[in-house]
Amino acid sequence: MSDVTLAGVSRWYGNVVAVNDVSMTLGPGVTGLLGPNGAGKTTVLHMMAGFLAPSRGTVTIDGAPTWRNPSVYKGLGLVSEREAVHDFLTAREFLLVSARLHRLPDPEAAARRALELVEMTDAQDRRIGTYSKGMRQRTRVAGALVHDPQVLLLDEPFNGMDPRQRLHMMELLHRLGAAGRTILFSSHILEEVEQVSGTVQVIVAGRLAASGDYRAIRRLMSNRPHVFAIHSTDDRRLAVALMGQASVTGVEIDRAGLTVRAGDYGSFTRALPKIALAQGIRVRRLLPSDESLESVFSYLVEA
Amino acid sequence: MSDAAGVIHDIGYQRYVGPRLGRGYVFKSLYVHGLRTAFGLGRSAKAKIFPWFVLGVVFLTGVILAAVKAQVPDAGVTYTAFVDMMAWLVVFFVAVVAPELVSRDLRAGVLPLYFSRPLRRSDYAYAKLVALATAVWLLLGGPQLVMFLVAAFSADTMKQFWTEVGDVGQGMLYAVLWAAVFAGIGLLVASLTGKRAFAAGGIVAVFLMTTPIVGVVSVMPSQTAQDLALLFSPASLVFGVGVWLFGSPDGNDSIGPFGPLYLAVTIGIVAGCVALLQARYRKVASS
Amino acid sequence: MTLIATESLTKTYGGRVTALSDLTVSVDPGIVGLVGANGAGKSTLIKILLGLLAPTSGRARVLDLDPTVDAAAVRARVGYMPEHESLSPDLSAAEFVTHLGRMSGLPRTAARERASEALRHVGLYEERYRQIGGYSTGMKQRVKLAQALVHDPDLLLLDEPTNGLDPAGRDAMLALIHRIGNEFGISVVVCSHLLGEVERICDSLIAIDGGRLLRSDNISAMTTVTDVLAVEVSEGTDLLAARLDLLGLSVRRDGRLLLVPLEDDATYDRILAAVAELDLPLHRLDQRRHRVAELFATREVTHV
Repeated sequence: MSDVTLAGVSRWYGNVVAVNDVSMTLGPGVTGLLGPNGAGKTTVLHMMAGFLAPSRGTVTIDGAPTWRNPSVYKGLGLVSEREAVHDFLTAREFLLVSARLHRLPDPEAAARRALELVEMTDAQDRRIGTYSKGMRQRTRVAGALVHDPQVLLLDEPFNGMDPRQRLHMMELLHRLGAAGRTILFSSHILEEVEQVSGTVQVIVAGRLAASGDYRAIRRLMSNRPHVFAIHSTDDRRLAVALMGQASVTGVEIDRAGLTVRAGDYGSFTRALPKIALAQGIRVRRLLPSDESLESVFSYLVEA
Repeated sequence: MSDAAGVIHDIGYQRYVGPRLGRGYVFKSLYVHGLRTAFGLGRSAKAKIFPWFVLGVVFLTGVILAAVKAQVPDAGVTYTAFVDMMAWLVVFFVAVVAPELVSRDLRAGVLPLYFSRPLRRSDYAYAKLVALATAVWLLLGGPQLVMFLVAAFSADTMKQFWTEVGDVGQGMLYAVLWAAVFAGIGLLVASLTGKRAFAAGGIVAVFLMTTPIVGVVSVMPSQTAQDLALLFSPASLVFGVGVWLFGSPDGNDSIGPFGPLYLAVTIGIVAGCVALLQARYRKVASS
Repeated sequence: MTLIATESLTKTYGGRVTALSDLTVSVDPGIVGLVGANGAGKSTLIKILLGLLAPTSGRARVLDLDPTVDAAAVRARVGYMPEHESLSPDLSAAEFVTHLGRMSGLPRTAARERASEALRHVGLYEERYRQIGGYSTGMKQRVKLAQALVHDPDLLLLDEPTNGLDPAGRDAMLALIHRIGNEFGISVVVCSHLLGEVERICDSLIAIDGGRLLRSDNISAMTTVTDVLAVEVSEGTDLLAARLDLLGLSVRRDGRLLLVPLEDDATYDRILAAVAELDLPLHRLDQRRHRVAELFATREVTHV
């Protein structure tokens, strides 16, 4: 188990502040690093990977600083956005090289294990130049896993992958996280981040806007009423009954059904079933409209 | 009594029902665009510096030579000799402009946008080629026109005037040959890479590195070899054709009986460049 | 009128790599998602449709024209938005799109006007005179879209239009594509790896796997309701599961959700009653729908 900690970290380039006073701790499991383009996600990843020094504050893995500390790479694997792989090597050769560079005691076994993890065993003896984008990506992930690191950092790991490859990669990350590794990956595709893990760190304009489980983050946004779409056997009567609730701030009705805004999530969600039953109305659909990671993210960016 | 009325105009998406012009218009547009690019028109000031510098040099030279000839009729150079003088400057011009015309497009990845349009792949190549050739011809022919005008107005007799016309005609034709060969080779080399510096270097290399071959062959003991020496570099090749068609400027160069061969090789090279350009863009479009 | 029709379309490169294999599809007007194709299959199909590549065997028709015979006519009516970088950094958006408008045969004034309008429709009106080199990714994607619209095509081919965009940018681009497909009257083919966005804006779908047709269907047919109810409470999931079990409903757990077979309408009431009795906060209750992702969930890993 490893922890990655940023303490009061800022990074500037002359007058440009890329990262502004960010403090976060990543523990075991998968965390999504989110933010608009240019918000500073890649800078944060590079500082965690020891490629950049923070202008202020400390970036540590299990207490050891990442900057100018090559020993940290024993336990750290990195898949960055742009790095290239040598086309003339096969996946197996590439992993062997990586394993040897890490001075692993049994490079062959390590390479084999890594290939199995990313499910590239069948194609391992073909040259990387013949691979599709998704296969290259998997090879690079294998390269970051060959030394069995506790911490894995990935910058847009799904880029270019087709749907099946994405599903496999999501499963892989989920498995690795469940096994206790500390994984951070950045992505713009929020539906996928939601599926892999609900834990996020959101960076907006260089600052840390929110951390933790996105559902809990949503609950904290008390100034934004929770919006629900409801469809029942008698929407209008239900609407009238709901309007009588203190937790309900607004009700809209149209052909698709009811849209309810609730200021108090807890009260409303407990009250709705009881009210419906009392009125003899059958609720056929209750769907939260702004509870998804996409909604939470857009609220955070707006704020 | 008037009632207040209001109108909401439709500024939504409009379909286009106007004319869609054909191949000729598209070709002409790309050609004009290429010609403008060659001289930096419609681009930043930086893009204008080199082409206008070259333009300035050739015209200045032309004007000076024209003035000299006006004063001292036997001094000065013939039109064809003027073209020979400017040749190396033109190589540099091509080395800078050809990459601007095609390497830029390759680098930016713009070609799929062109080729997903009715424009034919070969038309793209031809339009760029003709634009570059026109630019080179303007460089070599424009000053000649100035020289001709000065000479024509200072001619004393009709006979002199018509001689001038004949001479400038030769010079213009000679300029066309240079333009075709330089543009063909230059554009072909530039089309091979998206990096402008490489392309420029490549073009200069093709012209420069073939020169020693000419030198070596021209000192061989055989007269035939010496006559054929000029074949081995593009610049000297065209010079050789000029020698055959218009006579040697200083009477020293000889290509023996091989004049038609020189012309044939010149035409062959131009045709070869055109074919290779076509093949190159065919490959790029489908890759 | 069928938008695109292929018949046993096959393309092999050098006899070794098969990009497309015996593909037979028929696409109706609307917004169509093209998914699953790995790089070779997708770009090969696009090139064949644009008449830039000849198929090894089989036929294709676009807007009722044969691209191997009438390539220029096809390209005059199609707008293409490539996936990769394809803009000249030293031109302004207005100049760039105008130039390409003329390359499509529009007379000079019309090209200029339509370029301006196209840029306005994609939301780039204010910035159109700035050099493209200084644009953000989102703005560059919009310029690519504008040049595809400038000549008023009947069909748009968009290759990964949300590539590189952040969530807000993706939203905006998807909304724009939706508008184009529904309000402008232009059919759109969207190539995407993101099934979520395909479900969101497309009317129909073509899924290609390893060069072969996996599925060609309407999105609505692929996202029909199942007879399973999904119930989510933000606390007390185990309690509720136990209670529903007691009530004789067979409950399955899927993360935070409880899945209950929908036997009849009374199931809704029984669930609601259980939640009310246990005083649990009800977060969600609805019939599960099939998802497009199911198409890809069960097979082995691709090696292409």
